[in-house]
Amino acid sequence: MTDEFNTVSEDELHAYVDGHLSQPERGRIEAWLEKHPARAQEVREWQAQAAALQQHFAVYAHGEEGDRALVSAHRHHGHAVASSPALVLRRIAAGLLIFAAGAVAGMYGPGIIAPVRPPETAESPDSLPRQAQSAFLVYASEVRHPVEVGADQQAHLATWLGKRLDYGLKIPNLSALGFSLVGGRLIPVNGTAGAMLMYEDGSGQRLTVLLGRNRNNRETSFRIASQGSLETFYWIDGEIGYAVTGEVPRSLLQKVADECYRQFERSDAS
Amino acid sequence: MSHGRDGSEASAGADASEPDAFEEDVLALMPALRRYSRSLARSDSDGEDLLQDCVEKVLTRRQQWRGVNLRAWAFTIMTNLNRNRHRHRALHPEVEYEEALGLVAEEQSADPLQSRRLERALDRLSAENRSVLMLVVIEGYRYQDVAEMMAIPIGTVMSRLSRARRQLAEAMKDDNVIALRRPK
Repeated sequence: MTDEFNTVSEDELHAYVDGHLSQPERGRIEAWLEKHPARAQEVREWQAQAAALQQHFAVYAHGEEGDRALVSAHRHHGHAVASSPALVLRRIAAGLLIFAAGAVAGMYGPGIIAPVRPPETAESPDSLPRQAQSAFLVYASEVRHPVEVGADQQAHLATWLGKRLDYGLKIPNLSALGFSLVGGRLIPVNGTAGAMLMYEDGSGQRLTVLLGRNRNNRETSFRIASQGSLETFYWIDGEIGYAVTGEVPRSLLQKVADECYRQFERSDAS
Repeated sequence: MSHGRDGSEASAGADASEPDAFEEDVLALMPALRRYSRSLARSDSDGEDLLQDCVEKVLTRRQQWRGVNLRAWAFTIMTNLNRNRHRHRALHPEVEYEEALGLVAEEQSADPLQSRRLERALDRLSAENRSVLMLVVIEGYRYQDVAEMMAIPIGTVMSRLSRARRQLAEAMKDDNVIALRRPK
């Protein structure tokens, strides 16, 4: 029939939908579409799709508070083989799963290579920071389920973990240092029930506070243990060992540890 | 030990020092990158994961950037990362938690049901077809640009675009919805 118009290709229809054509070209396509209702229907579908997709994803085109931290995260961790802390953690965490399984079974050993050890060896004082660090590596990188009980149920969290630990647990408030509670979970420490609390600052930087029973009853003052860029402050006070872990500057972590120490003192007394 | 770091990072977190020009450029791209990552992903958290992987790669590979069109370069990196993730997913299928709960991206649209159908339909596209569709429709790239970004012939771009559009339309129909509203 109207053969002169019968020259519109599939590619041209896409270009029409995507607005890549000049006005005269559009006119030619439209005239052709009027004579080809089936294709016109399809083109309308594609146009509607495009509009729906644009609308659907438009809300995501925004900056977020953590973007600056994400972009600058690299500078702090070397140059050539730099990796964002989150990614490093994710990778380490994956590698540590086996290791964590050992910890769960109360068989935490001194090295990743030999996780199967009798539970007794778990009890040396320096095993506390190691357990704290492995817990941090595993859970702080968890996007969806970093904790079992969230900060919205803080009272329940304190009661629950306190009960399992057999200790009047008061959850430290670290808001003065810019960290808010994410929540907590039950976690094996030294082969028995321990507690992990997780905090987060505005940029998503996380800290964990680990509490575990210490059957040896050895007191220690504040100590520091580092593993790469991961720092842990820990102390043992009577029957409970505490470890504050994060990938943050040591000076900041120390403030957090001081704050926790002060607030735990009070919870002990109460 | 890392005593030296304490001083330089005492102010904590990431704003310890001024971002350089490259980082500023990446920051300026974040909204577009976030949108593109989400348009390729199955869920919000999947999208953020992809975004973070991409930003990491962009920053660690900055020496490889030839100095033209950072946006297109970053989009290419994202496209490739996403394809690799899909491969991985094909080998290790897992149901996204949010998806399992039926919570996929319902929040932002006026019509949540419609949004879910759209997301579900999109998830049936291959990573390659989906990337082409998003680059063209949402990010506004021309076919030739997409061909260069993905290092494929323009004919392949067109056939992927075509397939994506038809499959999406089919999937929406399968879902028993006629109905993306018409523009105008």
